[in-house]
Amino acid sequence: MSDRFPPVPIPFPTLTEALFAAPQQKPFVTMWIDDDEERTFTFGEFTRWSNAQAAAFKEHGLCKGDTVILIMPQGVALMAAFAGAMLAGAVPAILAYPTFKVDPAKYRFGLAGVSANLNARLVVVDASLPAEFLQSISLSERSKLIRVDSLPPVSGNSDVTHTSCKSEDLAFIQHSAGTTGLQKGVALSHGAVLRQLAHLANALEIRANDRIYSWLPLYHDMGLIACFMLPMVHHLHVVMQSPADWVLQPESMLHLISMYKCTLSWIPNFTLSFLARRVKPENGNYDLTSLRALINCSEPVRAESIDCFAGAFSSCGLQPTALQSSYAMAENVFAVTQSGINGSVAPCRIWVDSGKYQSDGIVVPAKKGSGERMGFVSSGQCLPNNEVRIVAEDGEALPDGHVGEIVIRSDSMLDGYYNRPDLTSLSLRDGWYWSGDLGFLLNQELYVTGRKKDLIIVGGKNIYPQDVEEIAFSHPAIHDGRAVAFGCYNANLGTEEIVLVAEVGESSNLEDSSVIERAIRVSIAAELGVVPRAIYLKPPRWIVKSTAGKPARSATREKLLAEHPELRIS
Amino acid sequence: MTDSAKELIDYICKEIIRRPNVQIEADTPLVSSGLIDSFSLVDVLTKLEEVTALRIPAGKVQPKDMDTVSLMLTTAQRVGKPRR
Repeated sequence: MSDRFPPVPIPFPTLTEALFAAPQQKPFVTMWIDDDEERTFTFGEFTRWSNAQAAAFKEHGLCKGDTVILIMPQGVALMAAFAGAMLAGAVPAILAYPTFKVDPAKYRFGLAGVSANLNARLVVVDASLPAEFLQSISLSERSKLIRVDSLPPVSGNSDVTHTSCKSEDLAFIQHSAGTTGLQKGVALSHGAVLRQLAHLANALEIRANDRIYSWLPLYHDMGLIACFMLPMVHHLHVVMQSPADWVLQPESMLHLISMYKCTLSWIPNFTLSFLARRVKPENGNYDLTSLRALINCSEPVRAESIDCFAGAFSSCGLQPTALQSSYAMAENVFAVTQSGINGSVAPCRIWVDSGKYQSDGIVVPAKKGSGERMGFVSSGQCLPNNEVRIVAEDGEALPDGHVGEIVIRSDSMLDGYYNRPDLTSLSLRDGWYWSGDLGFLLNQELYVTGRKKDLIIVGGKNIYPQDVEEIAFSHPAIHDGRAVAFGCYNANLGTEEIVLVAEVGESSNLEDSSVIERAIRVSIAAELGVVPRAIYLKPPRWIVKSTAGKPARSATREKLLAEHPELRIS
Repeated sequence: MTDSAKELIDYICKEIIRRPNVQIEADTPLVSSGLIDSFSLVDVLTKLEEVTALRIPAGKVQPKDMDTVSLMLTTAQRVGKPRR
């Protein structure tokens, strides 16, 4: 696939060669757990540890091309095991480590499915992984399960020669977002990853003194690629904490960016609103002047969230142009687009006529103050050697300003879903990857509007659940990020209707539920021009969340339908 | 039963379970029995930090560590650190 594009200069043939070329004394990873518990590893220390892991894996029978499953908590040991597996010529895959808030039954189901598909030669688990989960790992006759405490410690060293690989050899498998257990393993070559990193570094104008902050899990592309592979290959320092620690101490993100003068960070959209609501800038003495790009990625980019965060933290030195955006996916290694961060410009925003947008899927710019309109924030322009097309249901390419499915072609595309040729042929057609996301192009900027399968069609109007949910979040009694909208087919009307379920911030808010519901109903009607069939207000923690902490749309829908069977009757 | 256990039980009943006819003891299974959703545990863990006056590194806590109030308090003592 890379043959379609002009070659991009890559200084190293493989990811491991890039690690070996790193300056030995330079800090690579700082793992932060608490004010009195953090540790920094230089590239030299990390490389030696990884090499020792590679030697141990080989002793356990690991051969070139074998897959290795890693089930370990977020940390440098996991990163060293990952790099160690690559040094041994193998193909590692990081699976989510269970946290205190994971549903054990759901986790076991996911683990069984994903591990069966990977058919790994080695399964490396943390010593503290509970036995109940061990039993759910699918092991074949050739598989071997080893505990991390049987591997060399931090100080481990080895003179083992690493197994040489070629650019086209598989480097690792990362899993696409999706329901646990149905996640697809995205197989990526060294060359694909290195080409993506070259484009990304070019777009971000990476400098040797850049420093990355991350709370993102390493089993997702944003954490693995932007916050592990990018600093490993471009020899940058990354300051990291675990997602679980961050959720309990959200202010620690701002504290670490201030303390380490971090320049780059990636976050999903909800982080901006979450921080703005949970953290009081005056309590922390935060200094965000170093931050040149806080990149909003992995969810549709919301102007309200950006403005909310900018309003809350502009007094902390946050540059207005630091809030940037990107459209990325595991199947493309990572980024497809990136907004311009070096021209001192914020991502483009447009206002469009909501009537034309909803009824015809056409974007017609609306003037400020004129009638019903909707705002969108761009996810930026394509990286070099990345192409985006917007296509209709029949596969025909659509012109600028028309909403359709986003399809992508690039020189960093996946080779295929691991052991799933059936899924590969569904998504990869004629060199184009069909993303299942909806969006439109305008003046070369990509605007992502939602997921195709989530779209609600009400009387011919396309309504995005995210737009309905955003209206719910704007009500002060609704917990930010805790609302789910979906379509319910009404056979009498012959169309879908909108159902919204939202959590109130405090149980006591439910006493005013009729007032809150009416206010949300009025806002939805005013902003989207449709009237929801039903709005359900629920107490805190009612919405079902995914392992990534986002509302799980289909699971929440099923929970609501179980509690309210009347919804099944049109 | 310690004051900490009583305070936690009171919080879980009033703020998480919110069903008047449900009573729990220090050793009542909570998540594995379906009484509380695992996602509620972020709030329970925050309360546990408050009750014990300890800082608990969430990354070191497993689902099984949070299944009963007794286990929560034991976990807090095992992995918790004094607040500064």
